[in-house]
Amino acid sequence: MSFRADRITGALIATFGGVLYLFIIPRFVDSSQSSWIRPDTIPLATSFVIVLCGAFLVFKPTAHSLQNLRGHFKAVLFFLLLALGLYAMSMFGFVYIAPLLALSLMLLIGERRLLWLGLGVIGVPFAIWLLVVRVLERSLP
Amino acid sequence: MIDFSIILAGFSDAFTLWNLVFVLFGVVVGHLVGAVPGIGPVMAMAIAIPFTFGFDTLPAIAFLVGVNKGGLVSGAVPAVLINTPGTPDAAATALDGYPLARQGKPLKATKMALFSSVTGDTFSDIVLITVSAPLAILALRMGPVEVLALMIFAFSVLSGLVGKSFLKGVIAATLGLLFATVGADPENYNPRLIFGHYELYDGLPLVSVAIGMLAMSEIIRRLSEIHGEVKSAVSVQDAGNRNDQRVTWKEYWSCRYTMLRGAGMGTILGALPGIGSTAAAFLSYSTTKALSTKPETFGKGNLQGIAAAESANSAVVGANLIPLLTLGIPGSVSAALIISAFMIHGIQPGPLLFQDQGRLIYGLFGTMIMANFLNLWVGQLGLRIWVKVVSAPESIIFSSAILLCIVGVGMATNGLFGVVVMLIFAVIGYLMTSAGLSVVIFIITFFLGSRFEISLSQSLALMNADITRIVGSTPSHWPC
Repeated sequence: MSFRADRITGALIATFGGVLYLFIIPRFVDSSQSSWIRPDTIPLATSFVIVLCGAFLVFKPTAHSLQNLRGHFKAVLFFLLLALGLYAMSMFGFVYIAPLLALSLMLLIGERRLLWLGLGVIGVPFAIWLLVVRVLERSLP
Repeated sequence: MIDFSIILAGFSDAFTLWNLVFVLFGVVVGHLVGAVPGIGPVMAMAIAIPFTFGFDTLPAIAFLVGVNKGGLVSGAVPAVLINTPGTPDAAATALDGYPLARQGKPLKATKMALFSSVTGDTFSDIVLITVSAPLAILALRMGPVEVLALMIFAFSVLSGLVGKSFLKGVIAATLGLLFATVGADPENYNPRLIFGHYELYDGLPLVSVAIGMLAMSEIIRRLSEIHGEVKSAVSVQDAGNRNDQRVTWKEYWSCRYTMLRGAGMGTILGALPGIGSTAAAFLSYSTTKALSTKPETFGKGNLQGIAAAESANSAVVGANLIPLLTLGIPGSVSAALIISAFMIHGIQPGPLLFQDQGRLIYGLFGTMIMANFLNLWVGQLGLRIWVKVVSAPESIIFSSAILLCIVGVGMATNGLFGVVVMLIFAVIGYLMTSAGLSVVIFIITFFLGSRFEISLSQSLALMNADITRIVGSTPSHWPC
């Protein structure tokens, strides 16, 4: 039974709360008092609680284990691919990028069968276009 | 008291052909997604909300209710067939459903799950319809101090009961409150934590946060767990002889007390914020086993076990709406998603709903009853079809779901900014889930955050900044 994962999580959460409390909230939230609650009261209070709870988690961890590293690595790849896809979508639009994004995702998942690839790359984006543009009469991103 | 003509008008709105089509469509979609492990009704509802943007309010809500109810019922299909619950609350169903399927009776198990689920759901809907209006009248007498106390109570219950660690529950709840402060503060309208992005002036878009944390992060988590060959989401075993493919009236009737007890437990637990259908299903299952004269048959394909689990988890759905419609506090993520659909259509949830939107609420109630009957029908007819359709590989299911998330959020937020926010919250959701922090608590506290701040401010004004007076406060117009 390992408590290491929770200790790391607690430390990261406490650091996040501390950075918010000390640097980000004072800089990006107005602290003027003109009503019962100042604009920075709730953000400061919540970040303080986050620091406290993070510290508690370091000293009183539960037996929580992390998923294997390979899984996290794959997740990072998927997130990067999506970020890249969204950037490309902002340049060229959904219609041109969606099939490429679907193809990349399906290949990364491990799909190699042409029929399913064809359905995912052409059929699904076409169905979405049909639903959004023709049926709902809305524009695609 | 609500005028009887409003109640009738609401029910007549619900039973129109147009509304019926939307409920039917929702139930069909719900059955489809509920049968795919990893998608489930919550993710489907989150993806579907932006697509209901252009509909009238009642058909939009009717569709979402259909998805939720259909998904919960068909969550039992993969639980029975491959011992992999399509939704977490179907885990208890797998305990007896899967052994029954292995005995060559998969259809008997899934049909028992369907019948008991519809029974439990209808019971809880009747309780909702009869109880919520009087409760809303009581809720209207509550002031900001009572609302604040109620929210603190809801946060405490959520933190303590959802997930395995109270500390982690508090962290998730606090993170939800923190992210809810992004945007203009409710008192002075000073921008907070927007980092120069004026699109965030109205706060983080709820649709982006909900879809990012509930759908996208879950899809990525599922994708990251796929190793080796891409497989079908569901594989099917051959059914046995004809008698093993159906549930007789005698078998159904023998489970009546089990279903009634399960429905009662599900309704009571569902009315409390955060406890959820999984706890109800396991509680009902263990109680039934403890009260049984043959406890050794449980876990080996006992129909009572399936009836106990399914009647309880489905009864939670209707009861979850009691705190939502009476107090504006969502008891679960699906209730939070229904509330966000209300808000997209310009309707503010809370006790005033019955006063201002009585016709819509009774329309919703009519829709819920209709969805139960359609569930029975669609479940009976569609069982074999769903099993075939959901045999599609995970690669196509998840890549399609990702594209639908992007389009849905893009439509709801009118551009790619909301989609980028969704991706950021998908990362946050993934990290939280990996660390054992509940995204359910996060979403509910995020949703209630701004209301919490307003209630706190109003309470401070009423109590002259003495927060300790919250303990001794009583509603000013309490009937007794």
